[in-house]
Amino acid sequence: MAAPSMKERLACWEARDEYWKCLDENADDASRCKKIRSSFEASCPQLWIKYFDKRRDYLKFKEQFEAGQFQPSKTTAKS
Amino acid sequence: MLRLAPGAKAWQRLYLLKPSVLPRALGGQALHLWSRLLSEQGPAETGGQGQPRGPGLPTRLLITALLGAGLGGAWLAMRAEKEQWRQQRRTEALRQAAVGQGDFSLLDHHGRARGKADFQGQWVLMYFGFTHCPDICPDELEKLVQVVQQLDTEPSLPPVQPVFITVDPERDDVTAMARYVRDFHPRLLGLTGSPEQVAQASRSYRVYYQVGPKDEDQDYIVDHSIAIYLLNPDGLFTDYYGRSSSAEQISDSVRQHMAAFHSVLP
Repeated sequence: MAAPSMKERLACWEARDEYWKCLDENADDASRCKKIRSSFEASCPQLWIKYFDKRRDYLKFKEQFEAGQFQPSKTTAKS
Repeated sequence: MLRLAPGAKAWQRLYLLKPSVLPRALGGQALHLWSRLLSEQGPAETGGQGQPRGPGLPTRLLITALLGAGLGGAWLAMRAEKEQWRQQRRTEALRQAAVGQGDFSLLDHHGRARGKADFQGQWVLMYFGFTHCPDICPDELEKLVQVVQQLDTEPSLPPVQPVFITVDPERDDVTAMARYVRDFHPRLLGLTGSPEQVAQASRSYRVYYQVGPKDEDQDYIVDHSIAIYLLNPDGLFTDYYGRSSSAEQISDSVRQHMAAFHSVLP
């Protein structure tokens, strides 16, 4: 399987940014972004979707952590 | 005794030679001065006051000063020599590193064999990644290309050769590399090779990479260290830039390295 070309890559990134924007606007309620999600999935390799989903979690965590808003869960705090 | 005889003769001959050789030697003149000073001043003093024999105060001061200057000079000369020796050793070590350090044996995206020696005389910006990379590699390559373009606008600067080395030899063959690099910059050179060759090249630059789990489509992501390397025209690793360095910061740094560069190669 060939790697996406630059054009395909840019189309994928654009679809990703649209989807992330939708999640931001809807307090991360994925059920309200289903249509955009399907266009995101159609524009990127499957593995990239998984990767970008994890990446968004990570970026969100990083944002919270840097803002000092991150609270470790109770189980983590105890151990 | 018999065996010692030739030795003794030789010594004798050396002794005979000595008087004629010494004055011609460098120290000869100084010795003459010494003996003249001692012989001229000596008798004058003893005749005057009956003081202990020996040179007077000004002479002694002069001698001390001369001796001191001589010692100081010798020390300075030794220090300079040591510094020179240290420099030579450093240059020698750098020369060896220039040839041996970070060498690789790979194929470029035209299928030509390439080693580090092929880039001698050129500034090289090098990045390790893979063509199926979702976001970081294209971002970093884009940044690398921006640096090359910025530096290209300054005609006083030597051109920089951008190089992309894959850490995914399984999928990134010569054709895949050719298709990938042309989207970024006409001068960007893609390098690939056998898994062993790629592993060797990565080891040389302390690049870590790890193939991730394969999904249903046999697709996978390669986790790898992210850094842009700068090699100088001697082929010496000169600097590296992480993800947080901007294109402008890298350009500035490359400019500084170019201004300070002196080749160590003969």
